[in-house]
Amino acid sequence: MQSKLSDIELIEQTLGGNQSAYADLVKRHQRFVFTLALRFAKSREDAEEIAQDCFIKAYRSLSSFQQQSKFSTWLYSIVYTTAMTFLRKRRLDTSSIDDDESYIQIENKPSGYDEYNVENKSRSYYINQAIEQLLPDDATIITMFYKGEQSLEEIAQAMGIEANTVKVKLFRARQRLKERLERNLKHEVNELI
Amino acid sequence: MNSIEEKLWNYIDGNCTADEQNTIAMLIEQDEVYRKKYSELLQLNSEFAAMELDEPSMAFSYNVMETIRTEHAKQPLKAAVDKRIIMGIAAFFVLTLSALVIYMFSSVNWSAGSGVQIPEQLNIQVPHVNTFFTGPVVKAFLFFDLVMGLFLLDHYLRRKTTAKEQ
Repeated sequence: MQSKLSDIELIEQTLGGNQSAYADLVKRHQRFVFTLALRFAKSREDAEEIAQDCFIKAYRSLSSFQQQSKFSTWLYSIVYTTAMTFLRKRRLDTSSIDDDESYIQIENKPSGYDEYNVENKSRSYYINQAIEQLLPDDATIITMFYKGEQSLEEIAQAMGIEANTVKVKLFRARQRLKERLERNLKHEVNELI
Repeated sequence: MNSIEEKLWNYIDGNCTADEQNTIAMLIEQDEVYRKKYSELLQLNSEFAAMELDEPSMAFSYNVMETIRTEHAKQPLKAAVDKRIIMGIAAFFVLTLSALVIYMFSSVNWSAGSGVQIPEQLNIQVPHVNTFFTGPVVKAFLFFDLVMGLFLLDHYLRRKTTAKEQ
């Protein structure tokens, strides 16, 4: 069972030498950090490595956390920097989403994929599938906005860009996600016919 | 100029001024195009919000904590030491030393040394300096210095490399 203490209280306990308080912080944020890492890495193994690296980096610099922003915003800025470094190292293809050649292959598809049909696949499955096909930046902004409880300003802080730029990027990312979602659903329907 | 979609997203996100909010609300009410687009985007918005987060492996948090434990990650927490404690210790030593010096000077009998006479010729035999610096002694001393120097340089470079890796 996870601790009901706030992030700040857990940080204070960690700085006081209580390592189990940090374990609670990890458990609280691990799903989101892992999902963000997965937006960049596309393989679960790499995403876990990035996410672990982020939590270790955060622990090492915990005493320098000024508490002027939310812990989650600070943590996501570490995730973003670490994931970008990972991308640079791996030199993943980051060409335009409009280019059909640039489809990113989705790994870890559920087994028996072909047996699924439009009826028994949930709408959220299609959304997750479409998000995985977006560029890392688009997918990150959408994930942070909808699942990270981050405002435009906080996303801007985490990504090191202007809030207005985030607003424009979010708008475009949503448009691309919508297009991708419609294209995927259309493709599924055509396969069934 | 903003497209209908952009305006509606701003309206849904609550990123527009009160005036804009009222104008868009009125357009949704009166204009069929706005109304249809609004309900479409609203549905998309709730679907995006319902997306699922991925779950890392069961051992994820255990692995993180194990790495932290084995990497002496508590080192940076040294910065958390309260500066007031350090200042307190410094003040204690300064006060103690000052008190000792004041006590020492106040207990000195300043006229006690006036009757002492120094003999004109002191018969003290100081050994010649060269006797200590014979060849083998100097060589051993320099060798020891060299070894110590190399040891300290190695220690310094190791610490620098470790700090870089972290």
